[in-house]
Amino acid sequence: MRRRKREGPVVARGNDTFEITLSAEEQTTLLGFVDQLETILEMGPDDARLRRLFPTAYHDNPEHDAEYQAYMRDELTQSRSASIAVVKEVLTSHELMTSAQLHAFMTVLNNLRLVLGTLLDVGEDDFEDDIDENDPAFGQWQLYGYLGWLLEWTISASSGEDN
Amino acid sequence: MIFIAPSGSQHTEVAEPSVDIATDEVVDLQVPWVVIVWNDPINLMSYVSFVLQKLFGYPKEKADVLMMDVHEKGRAVVSNGPREKAEIDVFRLHEHGLWATMQQDT
Repeated sequence: MRRRKREGPVVARGNDTFEITLSAEEQTTLLGFVDQLETILEMGPDDARLRRLFPTAYHDNPEHDAEYQAYMRDELTQSRSASIAVVKEVLTSHELMTSAQLHAFMTVLNNLRLVLGTLLDVGEDDFEDDIDENDPAFGQWQLYGYLGWLLEWTISASSGEDN
Repeated sequence: MIFIAPSGSQHTEVAEPSVDIATDEVVDLQVPWVVIVWNDPINLMSYVSFVLQKLFGYPKEKADVLMMDVHEKGRAVVSNGPREKAEIDVFRLHEHGLWATMQQDT
């Protein structure tokens, strides 16, 4: 008898379908943070919390960078909003995801980490496991770690490494 | 609540990449542009490798080498070509949350 391999929260089900299994509490929490990301995006790309989502393209040429930002910022915002819409739909529908939907899920998870990591001022030597539970930001660090864990599983499923 | 709350002093400036290139030089249309991905402590190593595979069709081995260059050396050139192509590559990398810039390959 073969012991069934323990499955993660994101699993490939074959034929371009993926299943995400989250508790009701996880789904509610995640949707709440996705809503907040959407709200911040609506405030515009100049918000300090979004600086990692709208980086410079020409760090040595401000004139070229201004042109790039003028053309691309709206495109970037629209792309992120579209991914958020996909994630909200699939998380509430509880249906299997396509690879395209899973990719949107992945980018939104990463966006959430980038915003939260910016707020936490994460550095190279900072790890969520090292944060003392009495730290005022302990809850945020826990969430940051959770998003990373979920993102790792999503990458594994997308790469076909979960089987 | 987590995100919406003002971040106060929690955010600090990230140093811009320190490459010393004059901005008033004559742009040579024949010189190709290079796209550089810079290290960032937030992006997961597995995520960076996955994005490079996905966007550029690189095999996992090549994407992992580039990712490790980003992690250990602070930067890696991930693509090159005419300015228009480089700009599209930068946009797609930004779309995926990677810190990418472009410059002429002098």
